[in-house]
Amino acid sequence: MILKVIMGIGDRTTAYFLSFFSTLKFAIICFMLMFNPNSYSPASKMVLIKQIYFTTVQIIPLFSVMAVLFGSVIIGVVISLATLYGLQNNIGSILITFSVDEFSPFFTALLISLRSGTAVNTEIAVMNVNKELNSLKEYKIDIVSYLFIPRIVSGIISVTALSIIFSMIMLTSGYIFTLFYLNMDLHTYKSILISAVEIKDIFTLLLKGISFGFVVMFIPIQSGLKTANSYTAIPISVLNGMVKLFIALFFIEVISLLLQSI
Amino acid sequence: MCENIALIKETHEHKSIKDAENEAFEMLQKIELGEIALKRVPQCNSLEIFFVMLIRALMTEKKRVIIVPLFLLTSSFEDMKNILKKISVLNSDKCIYILDLVSNKNYYSDSNLEGKIYAV
Repeated sequence: MILKVIMGIGDRTTAYFLSFFSTLKFAIICFMLMFNPNSYSPASKMVLIKQIYFTTVQIIPLFSVMAVLFGSVIIGVVISLATLYGLQNNIGSILITFSVDEFSPFFTALLISLRSGTAVNTEIAVMNVNKELNSLKEYKIDIVSYLFIPRIVSGIISVTALSIIFSMIMLTSGYIFTLFYLNMDLHTYKSILISAVEIKDIFTLLLKGISFGFVVMFIPIQSGLKTANSYTAIPISVLNGMVKLFIALFFIEVISLLLQSI
Repeated sequence: MCENIALIKETHEHKSIKDAENEAFEMLQKIELGEIALKRVPQCNSLEIFFVMLIRALMTEKKRVIIVPLFLLTSSFEDMKNILKKISVLNSDKCIYILDLVSNKNYYSDSNLEGKIYAV
């Protein structure tokens, strides 16, 4: 009985590590191929352009409205809390750290995950179930270069670019609140923000955008590839992929917070 | 369908999308299927899809193309002769092997198999 339990634990642990290392290997292959110019055939470039359009350009109107709404309200809350605790002198660095380092990349990654991550997971799962991936392989078309690399690169570009846009809109809309709450003029507000920005903040924003962008596309692709051979397995694949993706996003966020606190 | 065929040249030979699609369109026109160039798979019949798959196979680097079983695509012997004629129009330097049932052997033996087309 005890032996069976120990064997069960051993089997699960081995399976977990094998799955983890195969995912890691696949991630390294994708990462290496991203820097290989041969991965970008005219067909791949076209997929990349379309993917950037679908993931970044199409979402901009909705994204801007959300950035104004969430941005002004959340910055308002941050300012009122800072005033309450007598931190008016540090308001610039608080706003920059909160909006540029933390809120913008994380919110953007969540939004792109819900919109494009699910779409990519479903698309790859359907292609897998319909054996379209096998057809491409039969015609000697490298599916990593043709299907996966453009999506991953578009994810990185989208999340990074939209994070920058989100933080800029958020900080701009935050001025409305500072104007009424702190009676601050635009010039002072601008000066406070500019003097508070450090290279570290820009570096954090870019690094988080790249990391989030990579996982936002990589995990749904990986999940789609693991779909069992039936249509009923597609929603299960999307569900599992999204759970893994959210865990990965929170993991990156926690690691980033830990690194910044050192 | 043109986009579908052009993908082979774009990925294998890194041809530009325009050139690859022009080449694909020329191939479709050779067999009088130019009108399906802008159609998608569900809009085409099984014979049209067969020719698209054949053109894609002919565009790869492989020297041999195997077709199984061709006779199922036809409803009469006349259709079969037309299909074989179109295959011979498309073929360049590849050997095309058609695998079919023994019961359908007569349809091939009476046909004039041109170029490097073999019924097995």
